[in-house]
Amino acid sequence: MHTKSIHEQTGTNKNSSKGNLRGRNNYLSLTLIMAITDFKIKYDNSILGYMWSLLKPLLMFGTLYLVFSVFIRWNVENYRLYLLLGIILWNFLSEVTLNSMVLLEGKASIIKKIYFPRWIIVAASSLTSLLTLVLNIGVFFLFFVFSGAHFRISALYLIVYLIELYTLVLGLALLLCSLFPKFRDIHHIWEVFVQLGFWATPIVYPISIVPVKYHKFIFLNPVARVIQSCREALIGSGSEFLGFGNHIIIISIAACLFVVGLAMFNKLSRSFAEEL
Amino acid sequence: MIVFEKVTKIFRLPHDRRATLRQRFVSILRKNTYEKLYALRDIDMKVNEGEFIGVIGKNGAGKSTLLKLVAKVLEPTSGKISVNGNVAPFLELGVGFQGDLTVKDNIFLYGALLGMNRKEIAEKYDWIIDFSGLERFMDAKLKNLSSGMLVRLGFSITVSIESPILLVDEVLAVGDIDFQQKCYNVFENFKKDGRTILFVSHDLSVVERFCDRVVLLKDGCINHQGCCRDVLATYKMTVTSA
Repeated sequence: MHTKSIHEQTGTNKNSSKGNLRGRNNYLSLTLIMAITDFKIKYDNSILGYMWSLLKPLLMFGTLYLVFSVFIRWNVENYRLYLLLGIILWNFLSEVTLNSMVLLEGKASIIKKIYFPRWIIVAASSLTSLLTLVLNIGVFFLFFVFSGAHFRISALYLIVYLIELYTLVLGLALLLCSLFPKFRDIHHIWEVFVQLGFWATPIVYPISIVPVKYHKFIFLNPVARVIQSCREALIGSGSEFLGFGNHIIIISIAACLFVVGLAMFNKLSRSFAEEL
Repeated sequence: MIVFEKVTKIFRLPHDRRATLRQRFVSILRKNTYEKLYALRDIDMKVNEGEFIGVIGKNGAGKSTLLKLVAKVLEPTSGKISVNGNVAPFLELGVGFQGDLTVKDNIFLYGALLGMNRKEIAEKYDWIIDFSGLERFMDAKLKNLSSGMLVRLGFSITVSIESPILLVDEVLAVGDIDFQQKCYNVFENFKKDGRTILFVSHDLSVVERFCDRVVLLKDGCINHQGCCRDVLATYKMTVTSA
């Protein structure tokens, strides 16, 4: 039996790939393919499929909206938009951080057998959630149009804030994932923290019901700052958080988390093959 | 070229005898003790460009660990390994296959895991489908394929990689006679292309057929290395005498 060599077949030169370690291009390919794969698998056996990535935050929004607009009433302008935006952004944080740990565990068999930079797993997981976020923001704008809010030029700030949030959350995910193989408990602990953070951040309630002396504690949380600023940019009337100083604070926290997270991940991921 | 300099790999196996709740609680306070397992001990070895090297030894001798170190999956505890050139890991066929995806999607996923980019995989796609003989099942979900088909698919994707260094860990043991023959042809071609191959196998006849040089591992140390016939003779002797 004669088998043609792949090199004759594709007419490529094997020397071309010699020497240079897998290029940046290949890592990008792997990240994208992994992200798409995970998105496909996640919704594969469900009838509504991709719709679930939209429905989940909407159902949560529906429940909370029912409770906090029928039973308890806040005095917030455009409460629907206020609440939905908060939920979508917090959901993004919770999804990226928790899913990347789950994905890391799920990829254990591959990590033990094949070498590729381990951060690709976290990056892929964050991209899957980013896609969900973008779809959700789309739904938010549908609500936006129907509730008769006016589009303002400051809404463009949203893009800047989303980039800041993405960096922040990616850093957090890297940090958590670097510790995860050694201390599996961190997944459960973090789950509780995400719940806690959800209520410690003005997502459901307006910041005005919190006594002023506690405001500085609430805004120690950079995500609370991002959420509040996004609201101000899109729907709110205040401009307390649209200042330059607020950006500096968010960016510096995000950059710190990202650098520390990446450094720790690079150091600890070397032994992932033995620990997972 | 691959150079091992005094490479040692130690695995730490924790003593895990925490049966009861009380013991569990106590063990939080007490530090876990570990069993040190020397998977490889002071390995000095050099593989030249274009060599086909066989690695043999009993189970637990450190063969797979050796390959994983070259593939960078594991890091050596001490010592240094320098690898000059791309490495294609052949450690296990079809790790990372996703049953819920189609054959086509899996080719792209697995190809990317092995270090190819989208364009490269697309170029080789037809060759892979042709070589694996799965034209009819391109759009079938992977979980509906037989295990033999999976192996063929995994092998076809792996051999399409053009890296100059290949690590092969006992992959020929699977597949029917026709497919094995195909595999041998592929290895002949690799040899002709002048690729460097590290080949782990228990099938001594295959080792004898292909390898320029053989390394015999015993308890993590190099017991004997040299030309094929000598080392195989030594190995057979240790097996019969034991």
